[in-house]
Amino acid sequence: MTPATLLVTVFFFVPALILFILSLTDLASSNFSEPWHFIGLLNYQRMFSDRFFPKILGNTIRYVTLTLIFFNVGLALLLALLTSYINRRAGFFFRMLWLLPRITPSVVYIVMWRRMVQQAPFGIINQFLGWFGLSQQPHLLNEHPWLFVILANGFVGASFGMLIFSSAIESIPKDLFTAAKVDGASTLQIIRDITLPMLRWPLLFVTSYQTLSLLVSFEYILLLTNGGPGLFTTEVWALTSYKRALSTYFGTNQWGYGAAWGLVLVVIAITASVIYLRVFRFDDLVQEPKIDVL
Amino acid sequence: MTTRFETEQKSGLLQRILTALPYVVLTISIVPIIIGFVWIIVATFSYRTQGILPINAQGKIGGLTLQNWTFLLDAKIWRVTFNSAMIALGMVVGVGFLSSLTGYALSRMNFRGRKTFLGMTLVLHAFRPELLLIAIFQVLLFIAGIPIAGKAFGFNTVGGVAIVMVSLELPLGIWLMKGFFDNISWDMERAALIDGASRFRVWWEIILPQIKPGIAALAIFNFISGWNAYLIPYTFTIGTKVSNLSVFLNQFSSDTSPMGWNQVAAVGLFQLIPILIFFIFTQEALLNIYGGGTKGGA
Amino acid sequence: MKVELTNLTKRWGDVVGAEGIDLSTKDGEFVAFLGPSGCGKTTTLLMIAGIYKPTVGEILFDDRVVNTVPPKDRNIGMVFQSYALYPHMTVFQNIGYPLKLQKVPKDELQKHVQRVADMMGIGHLMDRKPAQLSGGQQQRVALGRALIKEPQLLLFDEPLSNLDARLRLSMRSEIKRLQMDLGITSIYVTHDQIEAMTMADRVAVMKDGHLQAFAPPDELYDHPKTLFIAGFVGNPPMNFIEVEVKQENGSYQVLGPGIHLDLPADRGEKVARSSKVIMGIRPEDISLADTGVKGEVYLIEPLGRDDLLDVRIGETAVRVLADPALGVRMRDTVTLHFNTDTAQLFDPDTEQSLLW
Repeated sequence: MTPATLLVTVFFFVPALILFILSLTDLASSNFSEPWHFIGLLNYQRMFSDRFFPKILGNTIRYVTLTLIFFNVGLALLLALLTSYINRRAGFFFRMLWLLPRITPSVVYIVMWRRMVQQAPFGIINQFLGWFGLSQQPHLLNEHPWLFVILANGFVGASFGMLIFSSAIESIPKDLFTAAKVDGASTLQIIRDITLPMLRWPLLFVTSYQTLSLLVSFEYILLLTNGGPGLFTTEVWALTSYKRALSTYFGTNQWGYGAAWGLVLVVIAITASVIYLRVFRFDDLVQEPKIDVL
Repeated sequence: MTTRFETEQKSGLLQRILTALPYVVLTISIVPIIIGFVWIIVATFSYRTQGILPINAQGKIGGLTLQNWTFLLDAKIWRVTFNSAMIALGMVVGVGFLSSLTGYALSRMNFRGRKTFLGMTLVLHAFRPELLLIAIFQVLLFIAGIPIAGKAFGFNTVGGVAIVMVSLELPLGIWLMKGFFDNISWDMERAALIDGASRFRVWWEIILPQIKPGIAALAIFNFISGWNAYLIPYTFTIGTKVSNLSVFLNQFSSDTSPMGWNQVAAVGLFQLIPILIFFIFTQEALLNIYGGGTKGGA
Repeated sequence: MKVELTNLTKRWGDVVGAEGIDLSTKDGEFVAFLGPSGCGKTTTLLMIAGIYKPTVGEILFDDRVVNTVPPKDRNIGMVFQSYALYPHMTVFQNIGYPLKLQKVPKDELQKHVQRVADMMGIGHLMDRKPAQLSGGQQQRVALGRALIKEPQLLLFDEPLSNLDARLRLSMRSEIKRLQMDLGITSIYVTHDQIEAMTMADRVAVMKDGHLQAFAPPDELYDHPKTLFIAGFVGNPPMNFIEVEVKQENGSYQVLGPGIHLDLPADRGEKVARSSKVIMGIRPEDISLADTGVKGEVYLIEPLGRDDLLDVRIGETAVRVLADPALGVRMRDTVTLHFNTDTAQLFDPDTEQSLLW
């Protein structure tokens, strides 16, 4: 109890506070040895007036919405429906396979993708294109960076929604399906009229939860494109924050400036978590202890 | 749901196509991942590959070799493997121990501040910690300045990486464990108290054995995230002495690195092996924890 | 050991578990807490066990206040409805656990456990896990575990409700027998009035967190203090009829729609002033006769030894026990004789007895 409190304090609350204070300073590795100064909201001013600010904002929105629609919710729902429809053991097997990307070390997983997209004769996709007699492409990541950023993230992200949706589908009373069949409904009608309405809450939950996750995650982008190719092509908000503060790509660690970028996301994330915990009534899961003595 | 929704009077062929369709769609959807794994295994045992085929010096299919695995003779790889294992074990033990104690207290005990702590755990378990790395960096620099603790847990130490990862994983672990404890019968705990056990003994001798499967699932989950960790070790360490497998591998996987793709694949497979073994033996537990993990342990 | 509760109260915020319970047991007495679910009987039991802390009031064991004594130092044994056996331990380990916690030496523990298990008739099941036992066997293990440390007080929380009817009957007498032989003060919580009536020396009837009565079984049966007790104790339950009591020429009469009965003077004079009353009369105190109140048989439930008739007298329904040999059929018109010597009379507003 106490050690847990201590650790959570040291690595959650203190950092959140430090992040806030940092964002108001000019602390950077270039002047680390010198005394640093409070510069008020200057970092924020700089952030919003950054030449690439609109680009990064647009990238973030594009990354979150496309991955969410096509994979984390869309594909997840399709997979859940399909794996529930087929034989139980087979469905289980396919769900397991879909878990593979999630448990593969991120670095190894990205190495696979990098090999996929290489130019002929090394790239795997180009090899398949060749076998099917299609024209071979140059380095695909440079040609279609967004496609692969979203694919790589989506293949990891889809499994979460898939698992939530399938367990929700499995918890729908079987009688409902039997009744609908007796009433003469077709498979598609059953899905439309029974399964999907029953999945309303899981859908809302996965959508909001995954929006938050995508908004702040950047590990796969960092590994795959590092925001490139070129200037800020696939750079998202969280990655900007990280790179400004902790990578020496720009020659110096601008902790204060990076913190300003990060803090915006932290505020969004905390607000969003509080809101969706309210919406999903997580406090209902909290029961009173039924033993008084310690 | 093993029952098929189709009515029987549909024609045999259409019926068969409708039954097969989901399998076909599912198989096609997973193909990219399977191909990725096939490539990594083939590449590991080849001099070079084109696409997923091994190619020999003459440009024909062939040219298998074990030479890519010579990295195993390098002391450095064992150093980073050891570090990876330490981080993973630190996660298993640290998160397992702390969250099972805290989860028990939150689930079963009445104490001042319980409500506050619960609310905090709730919010934090939904919160993604990546954002705090910048500030944690400062915390680790500060810890590094403390005489003895700094050597063990400061910036650029395996201990530091492990303790940061444990802390960031704690809210989820606590929330999960609390969920497991919530399902234990109150009467059993009352019986043990009346039999003469202290609260700590009840936890250790009576309650913990009931949730072994839950603890095991959490341990596997933590081992995997510890073993796979990239971002935190990458951010908080410099040099192979303290880095782990992921960071080590990433250094050599860039297009300009002197190390060939095939050696990179071998290191990757080397890192994958324990994960795959876990995967094969603990599928059910994995499905539960990845699916229910963030749902609130219910 | 004597147990005394004074003004014992448990609240969680606005929720009342038990309110102002006053009660004291004699040494070696078997006391039952009887009431419907949610009446506070288990809450009270758990306060006695030390699991719940009383909000107000005191618990005394032999005149010593034990409010702050933790459960492990109260020297009590408890048996739960769910048995609450430790599923990962064998029968031997389950029964021996209290002794293991007291650090009793191994060979002594072995002897003790064997003796208790033999007494409970489960000596041959020592190496089984609880999941491999039948319900009755599990209950014996739970009982053995409660008895092994030779407690001064035994607490039972609906121990028989998970057993099937036949087993419940035999365990009932077994527990009663055991309690008498060992002479341990026992408190037994149940919602089954037959269990309470047959086993207990005295029964505490509870409703909505309040103690309604604390008396020996036959007194509860013959002299119920409230409408609730009268309706809860006895099977099949007592009939209640809204009637008027009138006094004419020194004799008392009960009048209702289609009902006209004489009331013995000793009962009548106690209710003379309140004319509207609720009369309670047990099914076994109504019989088929040649003269009396006329009614129509609405439903017949064969109980084996008796038939339970649901007879409608106008709007009023009464349950009557009748001999199956009489061959009563549905829709027959029957004549009922009410034995008003044992009739109970209650104030319709306060639901208190007008007699006791």
